[in-house]
Amino acid sequence: MHPGRRTSLTALAVLSVAAVLATSACSMSVKGGSAPAANGSMLVGADNGSPTFEKNFNPYAPNKRVGTTYMYEPLEVINSLDGKETPFLATGHTAPDAKTVVFDIRTGVKWSDGKPFSASDVAFTFQLLKDHKELDLKGVWQRVDSVAVDGQKVTFTLKTDDVPAARVIEQTLIVPEHVWKSVKDPVKETNAKPVVTGPYVLGSFSPNQYTLAKNKNYWQADKVAADKLVLPAANTQLDVVNNGYDWAYSFMTEVDKTWVGANKQHNSYWFPPGGNVSLYPNLTKAPFNDVNFRQGLSWALDRSKIANNAEQGYVDAAGQSGLLLPNQKAALNTALPDGGAIAQNTQKALDFFAKAGFTKKGDTLVDASGKQLSFSITTANGYTDWLQGVKTVQGQLKAIGIDVKINQPQPAAYNQALQSGNYDLAMGSFGGTGSIYDDFNNLLNSQFAAPVGTPTTSNFERFSDPKVDQILAALKATSDPAEQKKLGDQLQTVVYDQVPAIAMFYGGLWGLFSDKQFTGWPSEKNPYASPMTWDSNPLLILTHLTKAGA
Amino acid sequence: MNFVLKKVGLLLLTLWAAITLNFLLPRLMPGSPADAAIAKLAQSGPVSASVQAAIKAQLGVPTGNIWEQYVSYLGNLAHFDFGVSFTFFPQSVSSLISAALPWTIVLVGVVTIVSFVCGTLLGVLAAWKRGTWLDTLPTVGGAFVSGFPYFWTALLLLFFLGYVAGLFPRSGAYGATVTPNFSIEFFGDALYHSILPALTILITSLGGWVLGMRNNMINTLGEDYVTFAEANGLKPKTVALRYAARNALLPNLTAFGLALGAVVGGSLLVERVFNYPGLGYLLYNAVTNQDYPLMQALFLMITVSVLLANFIVDILYGALDPRTRR
Repeated sequence: MHPGRRTSLTALAVLSVAAVLATSACSMSVKGGSAPAANGSMLVGADNGSPTFEKNFNPYAPNKRVGTTYMYEPLEVINSLDGKETPFLATGHTAPDAKTVVFDIRTGVKWSDGKPFSASDVAFTFQLLKDHKELDLKGVWQRVDSVAVDGQKVTFTLKTDDVPAARVIEQTLIVPEHVWKSVKDPVKETNAKPVVTGPYVLGSFSPNQYTLAKNKNYWQADKVAADKLVLPAANTQLDVVNNGYDWAYSFMTEVDKTWVGANKQHNSYWFPPGGNVSLYPNLTKAPFNDVNFRQGLSWALDRSKIANNAEQGYVDAAGQSGLLLPNQKAALNTALPDGGAIAQNTQKALDFFAKAGFTKKGDTLVDASGKQLSFSITTANGYTDWLQGVKTVQGQLKAIGIDVKINQPQPAAYNQALQSGNYDLAMGSFGGTGSIYDDFNNLLNSQFAAPVGTPTTSNFERFSDPKVDQILAALKATSDPAEQKKLGDQLQTVVYDQVPAIAMFYGGLWGLFSDKQFTGWPSEKNPYASPMTWDSNPLLILTHLTKAGA
Repeated sequence: MNFVLKKVGLLLLTLWAAITLNFLLPRLMPGSPADAAIAKLAQSGPVSASVQAAIKAQLGVPTGNIWEQYVSYLGNLAHFDFGVSFTFFPQSVSSLISAALPWTIVLVGVVTIVSFVCGTLLGVLAAWKRGTWLDTLPTVGGAFVSGFPYFWTALLLLFFLGYVAGLFPRSGAYGATVTPNFSIEFFGDALYHSILPALTILITSLGGWVLGMRNNMINTLGEDYVTFAEANGLKPKTVALRYAARNALLPNLTAFGLALGAVVGGSLLVERVFNYPGLGYLLYNAVTNQDYPLMQALFLMITVSVLLANFIVDILYGALDPRTRR
């Protein structure tokens, strides 16, 4: 009708098709993917954005950037695999008695802004944690009574005889007094310009990637090989395999084909155990409160098969010693049969079940009234490896006549169920702290055994035995290695005989390494550090590497 | 006027209901934000008692009984104060949303409009030329493609175009070393990164518009006034666009209003697959981490924008189609 507003239908159609294509056509010639790190700098897959990075370098924030712990140093760093301590800001510590720890503070250390580091920074840090208990992530002030400085010595007076406390104290990251004394709210501080003592300082920061540059003032700068670390926010399996990472922490499907296959000459992996993935029986409920029943469950399982199905054969089956092997081999109680390993034995399992009052009737295991034994296993939704393990358990127990249901609440609800004791059997993980005392204390100490309905933070199975509490108390108070070994052996026997948790397989620490640019990564042959990319463990690795070919 | 007032009243009532539900729903979920944070940590190893205590202290898990929480929630809402996020502590919810909002609005918003316009035009064309290849191609193709699940299309594109062909970046909204600013380079980079997610949304949503428009159009083409216009000797193009398409557009317009309202919800699956820092990804984070303040603010935004879009479409309808005013 109005000639000017008339539109050709065909032209419109062409236009709309063109619009569809336009979005895809505009940069066909450019190659995708993020650029690999430049020479001399190390590409690290350690920090995952969600999906981008929030800038938070507060060393005491639970959601801090992972790189924070590559910059701040603690007094000493513990290798969580074998518990060995390496001195950093302290040169060592002594314990005049079981209630006192004295740290000798290193001299000649400078903060990255050039100001000298001293024992008063250490005292300030601990005072900061005392004033803001939200920052006390390691729970130092649950064990320390007071802190005193005398020259280069810092003395901690403990609340009770507490030998393992030193290991908690020494992990505290030390912050500079001259910076942090003017921070108004340390809990909400995001610390955009970290002043640190460690091997690296913050380089550039963007929401998709940040870099750490070598600290020129570092007190052992000669031991630091990489001039720059690059930490991208996206570290998918596809990225890790294709972008030439030097070090990544990532569960990798078919690792030999994917990660190693990407560069057979240089790429390697090491998956040491980081925890005992276990079934926690709810000890407040029948029949789980019967040790014979727990033994029956334990002998009914083929742990190797469970380990293989859950973790693609990357980890070993766990034994009933409560230790992580081979890391903690030195501490193993040699009196345990087969070093604590349990090989499936159906007859033995049936004998134990019979003692607990469950007998075989046809294909099913029934109680005195003839009803089939049935219970549920609770695991968190989305933990696919655990689910595979639980499904294997379900199959193995079905074969012996038990009906197992799988309960998969969301992670938050799973955690709530675990903490308040609302489950029959629940998946969980224990151990791996690097301290025998802490590992067993968390698993067995009756002080954590809150009544069902009241949340607890450890000992989810609610194990309670005054004799075991006594062993733990004795272990806490002794600094004699022979005595420690003896008490540790007793605790292993408790775990083996009383089955407070049915350990099934080791949770792996998924370390992927490339020696193209840097060599000296931790490995099975040289386990000087764990492959963990978080906490202070990376300090051990970053001060141990050398440039390839140098 | 009465019509508009009625609609406004209805809007306010639904708004209150939505706000209240929005308050209640996250609290009905089992577990607390601290539980979620601890469960997340527990994946990489056992969490010690002191870490758990510190997390609880930092998150300051909600205090007061449910009524006190409700009253303070309404009060804060009046000031647009959504509080501090638990997951991204100590960031405020408002800052997180304002960082994510532009990415989603631009990506999902633009693609929704492009998809609606293209789809509608293709639908008109298909109905007008029905029986020819111009009909079968978009209709069959649209029906086929719109059956693809979002995430599956996204993964296919990611693998073939992003990985095998290496044509486009596989994740993020902009390059690794780029800091967002107002330069040409940044916009180019952002555009380049948006291609795969945009394509995913376009592919999966286009078919719906084509089919909807074609069906409406075919109904309209059978109407007496179209026959009358043709009998009067008007040009076919005039009849198609100015008589048939205009009337056939009405139902599609409603759907478009709703789709625009839903843009604010982001496109969760697509953003998740491509690590796109939009509202959908933020919502995913909020829900998986039991982040009440963030969840509430996001749900509220989504509800309010859908309600507003609905309201606007209602009012527009009243203007476009006098019959609905009765």
